[in-house]
Amino acid sequence: MTILQKVKNFVRSRSIHVAYVDVGSCNGCDIEVLACLSPRYDIEQYGIFVHNNPREADILLVIGAYTPGWEEKLRGLWEKIPPPKAAIAIGNCPISGCLFARPHTLVDPPVAKHIPIAAQVPGCPPRPTEILSAILSVAPTIFADYEVKTK
Amino acid sequence: MALSLVAYIREFARVEWAKKFLAARTAPLVIPPYFRNYPELTGKTCTHHLFCMMACPAPGAIDVIRTPEGWQPRIHVGHCIRCGLCVEACPNGVLSSGRILESMFLDNTRLSFSFAITVDLDRCMGCGNCAVACPVNKLIDAQMSHGGRASTDDLLLKVSDGKCHVLHVEKCTGCKTCEHHCPNEAISVARLLEAVHSPEEEPWTS
Repeated sequence: MTILQKVKNFVRSRSIHVAYVDVGSCNGCDIEVLACLSPRYDIEQYGIFVHNNPREADILLVIGAYTPGWEEKLRGLWEKIPPPKAAIAIGNCPISGCLFARPHTLVDPPVAKHIPIAAQVPGCPPRPTEILSAILSVAPTIFADYEVKTK
Repeated sequence: MALSLVAYIREFARVEWAKKFLAARTAPLVIPPYFRNYPELTGKTCTHHLFCMMACPAPGAIDVIRTPEGWQPRIHVGHCIRCGLCVEACPNGVLSSGRILESMFLDNTRLSFSFAITVDLDRCMGCGNCAVACPVNKLIDAQMSHGGRASTDDLLLKVSDGKCHVLHVEKCTGCKTCEHHCPNEAISVARLLEAVHSPEEEPWTS
């Protein structure tokens, strides 16, 4: 591994740009993601920065149980993110549909059917600590040696 | 002027200060012990009342499976919402989560289930499917005939005069087998979950 690659890996692990998308949740998990921004959890000390713009993002946080309104949109949003990229499912809803996955509802979980999901954070809602540790453990492993892997 | 400049340089040139400045971190974040995490087994014997499954509000979050050691509740991560109702509803304290069991013991409270069976007499055809299917009836009178008629009155459900009658509702275990076997949707079982303070019958902690 060249020194340049090492520098790239280090910088990428310390500069994680995040976009989040709510595909139909109860807003509980959104509140927990927002709590990560608060001084108590303070994600910027880990180099995580919330852009909420997919064109600039590395990590996409998917929240919610995939309602029909997102059928055309989520895939396009995922393709707008430049590689290397990863999607993390936050909460029970994108994993199983949680309380909404009942007969005669319109939700279509899991989100992994629609876009590739790199990690799942179960919980209804998950603690901000769990969201943080998921991002911090997934991002460096996926982004490390990206050029070497794709060659 | 010169003195204050020296003081500034001495203040910021300290290694200790530079380390603090460059590696500022909030205190390491740990999950506190009182957090209601996913329920864990305490090792007590499960008696297969299935109250945990009845109390659970999330679909597919808990089921009770048979293992070589006996019945055992199993939590499905990704479905469980960590509400702790299964922990409170369990009559044996098989599950524990956070400080739920401790606070139940301190407050002397428990969740208790009771069941109410209603038979819509206008819809009941007296076929006896409910009485024959009922697992409680099966234990009391294994010889019950196909029409749900029997000689004993100890049964939970019994057909007499062409209608189904509920005789001993306190024997009901809330399994809803009768409801599933009724062809006419005439019988329904209501599961009543209530929080009881200082219950007469001692909870599991005794």
